[in-house]
Amino acid sequence: MNGGPFTAFLEAGVRTATPLAYAALGELVVERAGVINIGLEGAIIGGAFGALVFAGAGGVSLGFAGAALAGILVAALFALFVVTLRTDQIITGTAMSMLGLGLTGTLYRTMYGSAGASLHTPTIAPAPVPGLSAIPVIGPALFDQPVVTYALYALVPALAWWFYRSVAGLALRAVGEHPEAARGAGISPDRVQWAALLFGGAMGGIGGGTLVLAQVGTFAEGMSAGRGFIAIAIVVLGRWTPFGVAGAALLFGAASALQTLAQTTGWAMPYQLPLAFPYVLTLVLLASARARTAAPAALGQRSA
Amino acid sequence: MTDAAFALSLRGVTKQFGSTVALDGAQFDVRAGTLHALLGENGAGKTTLMRLAFGMLRPDAGTIEAGGTARHWRSSADAIAAGIGMVHQHFLLVPAMTVAENVSLGDRGLFRGFDPRVAADRVRRIGAETGLVLDPAARVADLPVGAQQRLEIIKALARDAKILILDEPTAVLSSAESQELYSWLRSFVTRGCTAVLITHKVREALAIADDVTVLRRGRAVLSGRPRELAESAVIAAMIGSAATDEVQLPAAGSTAGVSVISLQHVSMTDGRGVHRLRDVSMEVCAGEIVGIAGVEGSGQHELLRVLAGRLAPDGGGVRLPARIGFVPEDRLRDALIPTMTLVENLALKEAGSARGSVRWTSYEARALGTIRKHDVHTSGVCSLASALSGGNQQKFVLGRELEGSPDALVVENPTRGLDIRATSLVLAELRSARASGVAVAMYSSDLDEVLSIADRMIVCFDGRATDTPVEADAVARALLGLS
Repeated sequence: MNGGPFTAFLEAGVRTATPLAYAALGELVVERAGVINIGLEGAIIGGAFGALVFAGAGGVSLGFAGAALAGILVAALFALFVVTLRTDQIITGTAMSMLGLGLTGTLYRTMYGSAGASLHTPTIAPAPVPGLSAIPVIGPALFDQPVVTYALYALVPALAWWFYRSVAGLALRAVGEHPEAARGAGISPDRVQWAALLFGGAMGGIGGGTLVLAQVGTFAEGMSAGRGFIAIAIVVLGRWTPFGVAGAALLFGAASALQTLAQTTGWAMPYQLPLAFPYVLTLVLLASARARTAAPAALGQRSA
Repeated sequence: MTDAAFALSLRGVTKQFGSTVALDGAQFDVRAGTLHALLGENGAGKTTLMRLAFGMLRPDAGTIEAGGTARHWRSSADAIAAGIGMVHQHFLLVPAMTVAENVSLGDRGLFRGFDPRVAADRVRRIGAETGLVLDPAARVADLPVGAQQRLEIIKALARDAKILILDEPTAVLSSAESQELYSWLRSFVTRGCTAVLITHKVREALAIADDVTVLRRGRAVLSGRPRELAESAVIAAMIGSAATDEVQLPAAGSTAGVSVISLQHVSMTDGRGVHRLRDVSMEVCAGEIVGIAGVEGSGQHELLRVLAGRLAPDGGGVRLPARIGFVPEDRLRDALIPTMTLVENLALKEAGSARGSVRWTSYEARALGTIRKHDVHTSGVCSLASALSGGNQQKFVLGRELEGSPDALVVENPTRGLDIRATSLVLAELRSARASGVAVAMYSSDLDEVLSIADRMIVCFDGRATDTPVEADAVARALLGLS
């Protein structure tokens, strides 16, 4: 690692943003299909636990697969209730968050006992991109990261293409705007919402897996630490577009990385202040009329 | 038994919703290359029958044939693939998307590309082939109703529909737009395609259709060619032989009283800077019905809301009485809360001005009085507004707005979606309001209806309001801005 404290701050910002970006991009797809998954927190902590179990058995790659699988399982349960059984999205989502947090804690203690605290998983090391990582200041931040971060660089434009330039993306957005119109066009809103939720679950799971496999190197109860809810705020701040969400994730990541900067430079600044900044921005944006017009029209409503 | 001469054929179809029998062995044959009108009152089963044909519902019994082949639709996607298109009464369009995007909805493929330019070309090509022209890049939310309906037809044609089903297509159209639609449908069937028109407008159906089928209580009770059928026989078949409602003539020579509502040089601009009203001056007097007509988007929507005190104009003088009743066009969105009881809906009228606790017993008594006085058929004042038929909802809204004898009453398309019997009851209510001295302003997109009841006519064109004789030709010219 080269460069001064500012480079370190940028690097920490991108690193912190990575799990948030995964969860938020998944939630973006879910919300464009008209569902608001408050239970995303459950998928993230599920993914973190899945990563622990599978990485212990078969290394980092299997760990990420396990993380995605665990996220999908949590999302499938949510989809079963919300899409198929038409329960209330907010209440069901809250239950999923609590279920995810409680269940992973219980399983962790049951499976690993008191030795849990010292348990370590294999981790994925940063893979500097030759040349690019030598760019001053931003090079190490953007191109001296683990592969999971690089995958996002491809995922964001791919998602944007899929939303606006593919027939399936058009169908997804139609379901989020006007499910009856979509049904009239021969699209099954239920099937679209199921698919979106499973994708969102996998992404949330990978976000949780990133925490374990790329950052902490171990699992701790409640380690998702509200990232599911932060991801939902990121979707709002990103105004329901892939690039907007990526930018908003970076902003949230940078805000929490500011505390690193404050520590290394010896600023006498309470680190909670910059942490609060993105939330304030989200609230201001939510209060503006522009956010309301950007939101999918049928968001959070049940399709009949 | 198949018959290739029929483009669409439903035989002995039965459909029940819970304990309600919507269709009871209905028979419906549509000859290929014809325009077929399916007539019936509200609740006769017209829409249910066509939803079966379009695969949105499955019959409990009976068979469906399309193009001479027996069909078992699993969903409307199957019907679309077989060349059937349906234009629903309540449009199924995504307002936030463009015309081209709406047309492309329902194409298949997870990673199949969507190219806006290709989609736009497709819309333009359909426009060139069929004369249904729309700007592919326009947002649906910005389109007037007539253009939205054109888009629904374009959507069906983009799926190669050869059989087009239209559910009450003229309910939201002005008479000029209706004529345009009818002549387009004529050219559509001339090209060998087939169209089914669901309607309850007998005269229009007989004038334009090749064949007519009348549904009543889930059965086809009359079927034939218009020239072989008398209008009175069709009406009798629709409403049953017991009652034939005759169109009542307006009370001749009713004398208007003092001015109740007065607008002086009123102007208004909407949020996007478009002039909605330009220098409008008009009065509504006690004991008269002022009829208002206008092609969609001519300013009548805003004018009615200014008259009712719901919108404040940007400029000009407005004098309104203290008590005005207002019956908006979309009763389930703007006049009633469907999931509340009639008592609650009545109490809502005063919820903005009342203080303290709600005296429910008094509201219950008032609601009971309203449903008795205005002949609202319901199981009781505590039934939900959504449980009432459209006609009874409208009678309840009218009754609520007329309660306590207001000085003025402003009504917008009061008979929209109502059948003949409910329509005549609603119009009778308006006449009796006039007789008791209420100043009534009424807009209707049905020109014959408004002409039949109005004492004076005001026609809106491009935001201006013009006094016009109560006479069809003069009004028709004023609607187009000629005078």
